[in-house]
Amino acid sequence: MWKDYSSSYVKNNKASSLSIIIAAFISALLLSLLCSLFYNLWFYEVQSLKVEEGDWQGRFVGEISTDDLTLIENYASVEKVTVNENLSDVQGIVVDVYFTNMGNVLTDMPQIAELVGLPAESVSYHYSLLSLYLIRSADDSALRWVFPFFLLITIIACFSLILVIHNAFAVTMSARIHQFGIFSSIGATPGQIRACLLQEALRLCALPIVVGNLLGILICVGVIEAINFTLADVAGRLVLPFSYHPLILVLSLLVTVLTVWISAWIPARKMGKLTPMEAIRNTNELQLKRRKKSRILSFLFGVEGELAGNALKAQKKSMRTAALSLVFSFLAFSLMMCFFTLMIVNQDMTYFERYQDVWDVMATVKSTDIDVFTEADTLQELYGVESGVVYQKAVAKRMVTQDEISEELQAIGGLENASTQYVSAVDGAWLVNAPLVIMDDTSFLAYCEQIGTEPRLDGAVILNQACDASDPNFHDRRSVSYLVENGQTTILRNAGQEDVSVEIPVLTYTRQVPVLREEYGTLDYYELVHFVPLSVWKEIKGQIGGAEADTYIRILARNRVTLDELNEIEDEVSGLLSQGYQTEIENRIQAKLDNDRMFHGMMAVIGLFCVLLAVIGIGNIFTNTFGFVRQRKREFARYMSIGMTPDELKKIFYVEALVIAGRPVLITIPLTVIPVILFINMAYIDPMVFLHEAPFIQILLFILAIFGFVALAYYIGAKKVLGSSLIDSLRDDTTI
Amino acid sequence: MEILKCEGIKKVYGSGANQVKALDGIDLVVDKGEFVAIIGASGSGKSTLLHILGSVDKPTEGKVVVGGTDISALDKTQAAIFRRRKVGLVYQFYNLIPTLTIRKNILMPLLLDKKKPNQEFFDQIVKSLGIAGKLESLPNQLSGGQQQRVAIARSLIYRPALLLADEPTGNLDQKNSKEIIDMLKLFNRNFEQTIVLITHDEKIALEADRIITIEDGCIISDESRR
Repeated sequence: MWKDYSSSYVKNNKASSLSIIIAAFISALLLSLLCSLFYNLWFYEVQSLKVEEGDWQGRFVGEISTDDLTLIENYASVEKVTVNENLSDVQGIVVDVYFTNMGNVLTDMPQIAELVGLPAESVSYHYSLLSLYLIRSADDSALRWVFPFFLLITIIACFSLILVIHNAFAVTMSARIHQFGIFSSIGATPGQIRACLLQEALRLCALPIVVGNLLGILICVGVIEAINFTLADVAGRLVLPFSYHPLILVLSLLVTVLTVWISAWIPARKMGKLTPMEAIRNTNELQLKRRKKSRILSFLFGVEGELAGNALKAQKKSMRTAALSLVFSFLAFSLMMCFFTLMIVNQDMTYFERYQDVWDVMATVKSTDIDVFTEADTLQELYGVESGVVYQKAVAKRMVTQDEISEELQAIGGLENASTQYVSAVDGAWLVNAPLVIMDDTSFLAYCEQIGTEPRLDGAVILNQACDASDPNFHDRRSVSYLVENGQTTILRNAGQEDVSVEIPVLTYTRQVPVLREEYGTLDYYELVHFVPLSVWKEIKGQIGGAEADTYIRILARNRVTLDELNEIEDEVSGLLSQGYQTEIENRIQAKLDNDRMFHGMMAVIGLFCVLLAVIGIGNIFTNTFGFVRQRKREFARYMSIGMTPDELKKIFYVEALVIAGRPVLITIPLTVIPVILFINMAYIDPMVFLHEAPFIQILLFILAIFGFVALAYYIGAKKVLGSSLIDSLRDDTTI
Repeated sequence: MEILKCEGIKKVYGSGANQVKALDGIDLVVDKGEFVAIIGASGSGKSTLLHILGSVDKPTEGKVVVGGTDISALDKTQAAIFRRRKVGLVYQFYNLIPTLTIRKNILMPLLLDKKKPNQEFFDQIVKSLGIAGKLESLPNQLSGGQQQRVAIARSLIYRPALLLADEPTGNLDQKNSKEIIDMLKLFNRNFEQTIVLITHDEKIALEADRIITIEDGCIISDESRR
């Protein structure tokens, strides 16, 4: 009987059935897309970690014999044991352990250590990898957010979708309360009514769930391919094709079915609980529990505005999801767009624009000291190279006495204001950082000429400037002279052993820096930078030490306008250094492009989630308006009976649509504009530069999309309501 | 002075084998200040006639003139404005707007025209109907009888040429029914309000000055009781 009843209802109420089918389809699609995307992101994280840090799960470090290895290998839960040759040194052998069931790693590793006779400190874990499998140890205090974040987003998405579909079911089911009242009055039990509604939900949703899930996977394939295509040129990025696991399909199907089931069960349960009298007498009309005033709408649109405002207040509960989704999606979208634009502008100002004339190609020669690098002269001779500087950085210290400090620096408080993290008072003087920039001799001589001092290779050029800490404009912080320029020599000290020092001549004091892609005094405003030639470094490195592991090569090109020109030089440099050196090479234009792509990729991913959120809101509005006819026919018949014209009736719908679509905009504008202004002020960004780059078009398109879809939903709803026989509803007592 | 004139009104629903004649050539004249009761069994066509008189529905054939206006020729907008200004409609199920206060419900026809109410007349109506103390309440906070009084107040606020009441006591108990009919009679006498009342209750019809009986869409008797 119920089967016939449901079939007949579905057949004769295509609009409401369609709203459920659409809601179930959208939910299945979004959940499947979400699960697939998160699986791929998770898989990417796992693979990246394995490439960067290895795929070991637990590790022993210590004196481990071959017998110990056999003992570990034979431990029941251990799958594989390997000796890490790269990390094993005189301090001990490093053994990587892999478990058949990764979940045993935390419990079994200490037991194995005990068995082998290794101390507890010899055990370590691959916490970052384990956390991706939700294996957490109390000893690991790091915030490993990736997996919990994925889970949280999925749960939020499920919850939001439950609200949406639940609403679709609620609207359709409550339209039939009267009918179920009649069933109930003739003896149908609440259980029967509930079962009927759930069976009906299952029939309507089975196909959309399957199709939605499959389409979600297909869209995910497209998204992953698009990400790989967009970020194809990003150096060092692991490229992984779309990957999928059958369990993900099972999981997303389960989550979808559960979501749909809960959505149908909530209103079905409510319906089952109604008494026959409540059901038969159900008015299903928009009611207010207490008097509300819609002053603004009433003022702007007259009595139609007031009626629209009251109707919206009466629908507050059912429209809550829509309102929240639209507000949050638009707010998130606007904030995201504005802040990414600000970040791009900020980065352009602080990085790309600032350094666009100081480098074209940068090469990092890994684990190589400048004094063993032999290609400096060959680099200069490469075709298309205007100038090439090979340099390495080293840390050192220097004592600065009070007498040496310039008047300018003393006037702004001297070194007493400096952070003790960087500057310390020692024996009436100040021990400051004196970073060394060691340049190849040819480049150093050229630098001497550039600053107008006699080119020599037996001393240091001191960058005689200290930043004024009181100037908040970090983009272009004011600087003052650091030292009085009378010292003929400078005494550099070893950064770890300050009593080891070396005295070298000062060739000159200058405020002019060599053309390198370096920043000075960014964190430590009182560092005293020394530029030294390689010849000097060779003499003092034994005492000073502190050299960084890598050597850098900065190249300026003759032709530096197009990407092809820079790519050509990059290829030449790469070809030259590929034999004998491990290098990372980047060029200025490509780096800018990569950076922009990264930003745009991130914007696209976050934007996609904003759009999904908006889709939830829009879907909810469509669900509501699809359920309009039953709910609002009588309301509009009343307006008509007291003389409201068709245009006035339509005006009520216009105002409602305007409020629903306009509210996110009105809420978002101040919440976006205020933080953007604050950020612009804090970051010293020129407002006109931001306005020039501001994402007005994207935000406008988002607004138009919201307005367009809300208008469409209301157009359909209004057409149905105004097109139905309002006269019948004035006299039909079954509609009250 | 005639306020309502119907000539040969026919109303047909459906087509072919499913065709139903709700009204079949109604001729009717009502003078200003008359209190007319239209009675008939369920399905006789009386509510259809009332909807046509109230310009809520259109006749398939025939002419309806209310206060000198041929309402059968009005388009939807003109009909709505006519309804707002010239006709007051009272239904069995009140048809109040649940989201507006009683005051706003009563003033609604005036508000639609952006007109200010005559405060004296408004006070007089709400006082006569005994709802002066309920003006800031919502309809669902009132009893059925009180809601029907609000519906009557709303129908009178524009001083319409014609008040059409469709089974106004159908949903009320005996006491409230009597009070509503007494009020209609009061407005008929004091304000010379023309009233057309539709009922199936002969006892209520006897309160009117004139009783018209409808059967199968035709007037079968028209009896004056003055």
